[in-house]
Amino acid sequence: MENTSQVPVTVLTGFLGAGKTTLLNRILTEQHGRKYAVIVNEFGEQGIDNDLVVDADEEVFEMNNGCICCTVRGDLIRILSGLMKRADKLDAIIVETTGLADPAPVAQTFFVDQDVADRTKLDAIVTVADAVHLSSQLTEHHEAEEQIAFADVILLNKVDLVDESGLDRVKDRIKKINPFAKIINTTRCSAPLDEVVGLNAFSLDRILEVEPDFLESDHDHEHDDDVTSLSFVSDTPLDMDKFQDWFGNLLRTKGQDILRSKGILNFKGEEERYVFQGVHMLMDASPMGPWPKGKDRSSRVVFIGRDLDNMNLKEGFDNCKSA
Amino acid sequence: MNADLEKLQESNKTELERRGSIINTGAPVTEAITIRDHIAVGFGDGTVRFFQSGSEPKVVKAHKGVVFSMARNGDHVLTGGEDGRFLKISSEGDIDEIANFGSRWVDYVASYKDFKVCSSGNTVHIWSKSKEKINSLEHQSTVGGLTFDNKGKRLAVSRYGGVTVWKQNNNKWTSSNYSWKGSHGKVTFSPDGRYLVSSMQENQIHGWRINDKADLAMSGYPAKIKSFTWVGDTPYLVTSGSSDAVCWPFDGKEGPMGRKPVCVANGGKELATFVKVLDGENAVFTGFSDGSVLLSEIDESKKPIRIRNSTGSEVTAIAVSSNREQVLIGDLQGNILLSSLWADN
Repeated sequence: MENTSQVPVTVLTGFLGAGKTTLLNRILTEQHGRKYAVIVNEFGEQGIDNDLVVDADEEVFEMNNGCICCTVRGDLIRILSGLMKRADKLDAIIVETTGLADPAPVAQTFFVDQDVADRTKLDAIVTVADAVHLSSQLTEHHEAEEQIAFADVILLNKVDLVDESGLDRVKDRIKKINPFAKIINTTRCSAPLDEVVGLNAFSLDRILEVEPDFLESDHDHEHDDDVTSLSFVSDTPLDMDKFQDWFGNLLRTKGQDILRSKGILNFKGEEERYVFQGVHMLMDASPMGPWPKGKDRSSRVVFIGRDLDNMNLKEGFDNCKSA
Repeated sequence: MNADLEKLQESNKTELERRGSIINTGAPVTEAITIRDHIAVGFGDGTVRFFQSGSEPKVVKAHKGVVFSMARNGDHVLTGGEDGRFLKISSEGDIDEIANFGSRWVDYVASYKDFKVCSSGNTVHIWSKSKEKINSLEHQSTVGGLTFDNKGKRLAVSRYGGVTVWKQNNNKWTSSNYSWKGSHGKVTFSPDGRYLVSSMQENQIHGWRINDKADLAMSGYPAKIKSFTWVGDTPYLVTSGSSDAVCWPFDGKEGPMGRKPVCVANGGKELATFVKVLDGENAVFTGFSDGSVLLSEIDESKKPIRIRNSTGSEVTAIAVSSNREQVLIGDLQGNILLSSLWADN
């Protein structure tokens, strides 16, 4: 996943009217000196005319690998493979999804298809949210929750249309679902493009750089359908076999409800840091060099999902500590 | 470069590399087909180049963006591209635009006599002698592959969930479905028309016996099968996607059911990415992920011949001229080897 010739792909999600098209138009028209292809959906908000715009159908395919939540975007496999045959190399690809789309199949496509994984890499999931309407959308549509839950970056748009207390309320709501995404306040999606494209958020070594504020993770929620997050820290080294058993079984049995997982692990007897990240049942993991000298070796894991309280996550994680 | 080194490099060349011409076009080769004594090659920069032994290739600026698919239509080549255009091109470079779908790519094209067919999205569009489109066939999901049978009576269209086979009689098209869970791509009929085979998103190919729709699952590949070709009288369906060319026998009543494939042309660590029959022989060219190409008989006891050395870029196209004198090999980085197959007497 660390091949430099891989073209980065940014996934752009967000509810209808949030401002995705405004952002896409900026990406296509601003003089940034880069070549971006944009894959749009035919049910998009309005037509964008440009040679580098590709129409897609959002065809979600089930894989025949026995994993029930393993769905991929078939059209994306076809289009990305096609774009990789271009003579001129693209600097990045942006995939727009419809307002009601679940981001999981898009992310999973990069784990499942070898050609896609060889030549492109998932850069980040960027969600455009409407500061005025997000709260009601979160209540009414579980897709809105998923888009917030999956996001690496959230462009909180139209902040000029809410007052300060309203803005705080919507940010609190976002943080309850996903405390780890970076929130950027914007009006008319005016964030600098380099804060949206080329973030490397799915790169495993990037996980090491992000220092999420684990202690702030709170999880009181109103009803069972809510997407929440939980995180755990351990200064006691973990037992690798125990962790693999627990985590493998957890993803197999509860992967449908676990939207995203990430972690840095300190295994007993291992000099290197282990880093992983997953989307539902699919996971990418790798040793990522030795621990920095003079710094605490602590294991940290994060889960974002539904019904997390009924998975005995804390107990399971604690059981992985080496005796 | 000193003379010794030059000599050494020369001696490391294959026989075909020594007597042929090697050019780098700089654009990925997407497809190559034979049109009489020309070999037409499609590229990722939208050009179609017509190669002929002894003369400079004719370069035709056909599409804006990638040439995705090509088919022979009499003396012409049909092409579909990233610019949404479906074109008919002569070897002199005359371009006739059959249709333009704008930002919708033309993914696949096919032809049989007067029929000119292309797919864009879920729809297969059909033209015959006249300039007017004669039919459009809709499918439940995006088309993943297109092919006519050898008699031009049936058109197979692969898609998610299986393959739709359209039968035509005086431009009346009726369909039957061959179902198998998953996403289906490249599709082919056996030369006798008794079997239908498609490559899948998973690392396997799936076949059906046409008359009773019996399923044939051919799996165990380490990679997706991007290429297959029918070889010999048996015939064998030779497939890429493994370190060997994997050859499934389609003789007898049951075809490959319950039988093991023949494996030829071992590429060691490299995976086969493109296979092409040497017409009239029980032999196949196998191109690998490093650019090397082997020619082998469908016989595990025979040693393959190295046709082309590694270029560091996967083989994406191989074509042999219709008089079987010239072979053309292209790869993802745009390297082309054009060479005569036989030594001069």
